[in-house]
Amino acid sequence: MIRARVSELVERAFDYRGYVTVRRSDGSELVGYVYHRDASHLELFDETATQRVRVALAEVVDIALTGEDAARKSQEIWERRKGTLEPRDTSAWGDWQEAGRVLVLVGLPIELRSVARALGGRPRGDRARGKLSGVEAVALAVGMGGGSLRAVEEERPRLLLSCGFAGALDPSLRPGDLVLASSVRDETGDRAPAPDSLLKPAAAALSGMRCRQGEILCTSAVAASAEEKRALAGPGLLALDMESYPAARAAASGGIPWLALRAIVDPLEASLPPFAREECESYLWPALKEALAGPGAAVRLVRLGLWARKAGLALEEALRRLAPALRVPEART
Amino acid sequence: MSIPVAQMVAVARYVLQQRLARRERYPLVLMLEPLFRCNLACTGCGKIQYPLSLLKKNLSLEECLAASDECGAPVVSIAGGEPLMHPRIAEIAAGLTARKRFVYLCTNALLLERKLPEFEPSAYLSFSVHMDGPRAEHDLAVCREGVYDVAVSAIRAALQRGFRVTTNTTLFDGADPSRMRAFFDEMMALGVEGMMISPGYSYEKAPDREHFLRRERSHRLFSRMLESPKKSWRFNQSPLFLQFLMGKRDFECTPWGNPTYNIFGWQRPCYLLQDGYARTFRELMEETDWSRYGRKSGNPRCQDCMVHCGFEPSAVRATFESPRGMGATALALVRGRP
Repeated sequence: MIRARVSELVERAFDYRGYVTVRRSDGSELVGYVYHRDASHLELFDETATQRVRVALAEVVDIALTGEDAARKSQEIWERRKGTLEPRDTSAWGDWQEAGRVLVLVGLPIELRSVARALGGRPRGDRARGKLSGVEAVALAVGMGGGSLRAVEEERPRLLLSCGFAGALDPSLRPGDLVLASSVRDETGDRAPAPDSLLKPAAAALSGMRCRQGEILCTSAVAASAEEKRALAGPGLLALDMESYPAARAAASGGIPWLALRAIVDPLEASLPPFAREECESYLWPALKEALAGPGAAVRLVRLGLWARKAGLALEEALRRLAPALRVPEART
Repeated sequence: MSIPVAQMVAVARYVLQQRLARRERYPLVLMLEPLFRCNLACTGCGKIQYPLSLLKKNLSLEECLAASDECGAPVVSIAGGEPLMHPRIAEIAAGLTARKRFVYLCTNALLLERKLPEFEPSAYLSFSVHMDGPRAEHDLAVCREGVYDVAVSAIRAALQRGFRVTTNTTLFDGADPSRMRAFFDEMMALGVEGMMISPGYSYEKAPDREHFLRRERSHRLFSRMLESPKKSWRFNQSPLFLQFLMGKRDFECTPWGNPTYNIFGWQRPCYLLQDGYARTFRELMEETDWSRYGRKSGNPRCQDCMVHCGFEPSAVRATFESPRGMGATALALVRGRP
């Protein structure tokens, strides 16, 4: 009797052009679109349409048609406008927007150079243009901290990728290691989780590289010394930057998905030279001045240069690998 | 008939190989649906009614090419949704033509002119432009003003750049045979390589399910349209399929002839019906209960269907699998009439 009811529910769900909620015998619920069923299983796409889930019919207790029925909606629209046509000047993309570019935001020109190489181009001023796996991309150096919102408003991208260098907050991270943000947090503790639909394929694309997934902390000032970083470190926090959080918020305001990817330059126990606190077009002169302070300073500078190079190469390679995961479709208007 | 000789030879060789391998069921045309979203919402279409996240989904380039490799059909029809909305459609077409697949990229042509620079003309690639009749009928069928004019302009632009262009026309109840004949003249005057025609199917999820053609009415309409055909008309279809549409011969549906692959997998049993999905092409071919489909099965959803995806492969088989079929095809070609 119960099985007959489940069979009936399964057929209704299979015929339904909307999301359903499947309740299982362990009390858990699953929301998805049922595209296949057989004698023993149901197959669904999850709500983000990224994961396929197979559920044994023996586990199914109930199925409710909880999402909007796309077929009924289409029928209603057609009946409403029966006899009238969409006007001639309707967009050639219909209800969809033309696929925008991928916007890559970095803070500094040195970071832009690594990104530009991955895009197959060279920086021109504060930007670089190119393609990531066939998708048009533009990279902008917006300066330390800010500029994301304006960039999103001006570029109207399909996706935002915040990337660049970072300091480690986790003692196990070394120069050149990558951090893919599962979420970003500002100094007040406000968190923005990265969208699963992008995060999962991105993580898969970066497998095989030295890459950790976790939270990035964004500060409004450079934390250059080991003491400052130790004070900011906390459970689950992997890295420190100044751009990822405002970038995530800018993406949210523009209704587009985002990702944050950072390459570690300075480990937790290392301190950056004082000039790193200032934003400069070129760090050449400040570095030379610093080197004159003595042999110890010169050695530290050479070491920092090597770390930055390692981070730059890791970022470039990661962007190349990440490219297929960034081919998200355009957003609906 | 306007099917290029190279394509005819490739299909004939492929059919012969299947026969020699004693394969009872084999695919001729892969129906590849790389996405479901569309820039139109046509009255008779039941292909695009999905939740937003599924409409946003694309098959990847790799998935498209793998599906073609897995299936092995010599012809690939890229449908949808509107394929030109796929961000990598030009790469998909290039990947398929590099594999020497004859690709028919079905499009409503709204984006064709601006997308043309992304494509390379090839003997293996044809844009198959959706044209449901003369201007008034076409715009009504696609529910938008001006689409016919945009498509005509895009066809001209594509031809000018050296692309192969065909048209595909779906006919519904109420089509006027004499206006359709004039429409065929217009298309040939434009310079298209050939035309494809088929009755529509009553998709379960389409907004308008009242105006699809039942079998007898299909016979009458196609007979009146195609009787005494003009010499200038070229159809990119098997003459035996056109005879089937006119009621001059009967075929049983061969749904495995045009297998469909989309974001869900291999669609069972055909391009029009969705009774579930197989994970692999082999699973589709070997584990589908084909006896449940086709007119003889008594399946009510199959009784009035005369759509090309089920019957054109039957017609092609009939052509290549017997001297009689070959003779009938040759005669139709020589006489220049189906």
